[in-house]
Amino acid sequence: MSDADIKDAVENEYVEDGSNKLLVKCKFCGSKILERKSGKFVRKEIDLPLMEQDKRVEAKVQYEKIYQFFFVENMYTFENIGFTHTIDNCKYLSCADCDAGPVGYYDMDTKHSYVALSRVKHE
Amino acid sequence: MAKKTYDLLFKLLLIGDSGVGKTCILFRFSDNHFTTTFISTIGIDFKIKTVELRGKKIKLQIWDTAGQERFHTITTSYYRGAMGIMLVYDITNEKTFDDIVKWLRNIDEHANEDVEKMILGNKCDMEEKRVVSKERGEAIAREHGIRFMETSAKSNINIECAFSELAEAILDKTAGREADADLARIAVERRPSRAPPARACCS
Repeated sequence: MSDADIKDAVENEYVEDGSNKLLVKCKFCGSKILERKSGKFVRKEIDLPLMEQDKRVEAKVQYEKIYQFFFVENMYTFENIGFTHTIDNCKYLSCADCDAGPVGYYDMDTKHSYVALSRVKHE
Repeated sequence: MAKKTYDLLFKLLLIGDSGVGKTCILFRFSDNHFTTTFISTIGIDFKIKTVELRGKKIKLQIWDTAGQERFHTITTSYYRGAMGIMLVYDITNEKTFDDIVKWLRNIDEHANEDVEKMILGNKCDMEEKRVVSKERGEAIAREHGIRFMETSAKSNINIECAFSELAEAILDKTAGREADADLARIAVERRPSRAPPARACCS
């Protein structure tokens, strides 16, 4: 399968009528992050810091590119979520129960949040 | 997505001396030897948690002071809009307990006067290092007519329960207000200030 096919497969499985078909939960502890149908599916290319950073690579944050997100207009739509301190006009989102993250980011200008499909569990 | 998915929103603050474990109440993750999580490097500003109380879906927005207490810069802007305050001391550190009185004064000066307060004696897993007895914690809470609980963020004792109880106390105060602000009714329903006994579910 090509990258495009994988992307389509993900979207078919987790997206329905443009929003999240399933509950969005923390991959590690299962804490509920979003109710069904509360995030709007969007495609955009963002560099998100890796959840686990290798300490031996000094003073350099390691990133990966992420392309698929659930867009959340109002932060109070979240069931359970953590917001980090602000860096470069953005706050990163983390699990409110086990603090795993970033599972997405929050834009300080627009006050919109984006949850990365690949960083959460869909149930 | 515009529709509101909750009934009430409560803003809660964590207050107390440095080192009492406020940040641990909000942040529990610990790093291992070779990796560090990106999140623990930056730190948490606030969390949103959803609880259900008496059939109502309530969103709690919980804020940490982010070390501002070190510079005594906790003023009106930090307290703005706060409906509940967790006042935290460390049961292994006498000074943090003595400072509770100072924090209460600070809250009186800067916070909304009907803000709901609760005192937490944190680090109750460290019994061998305890210097503040549970009775003294209960006594100071009773004296000021506020709730009290001993907690351990590290062992996850009473943390969830403390937040639910604080939320419930705020719910008691706001009950009636949402039903189109019948002011007379609120005045009648408002309960007198008191420190309820520790609840069975939590201890």
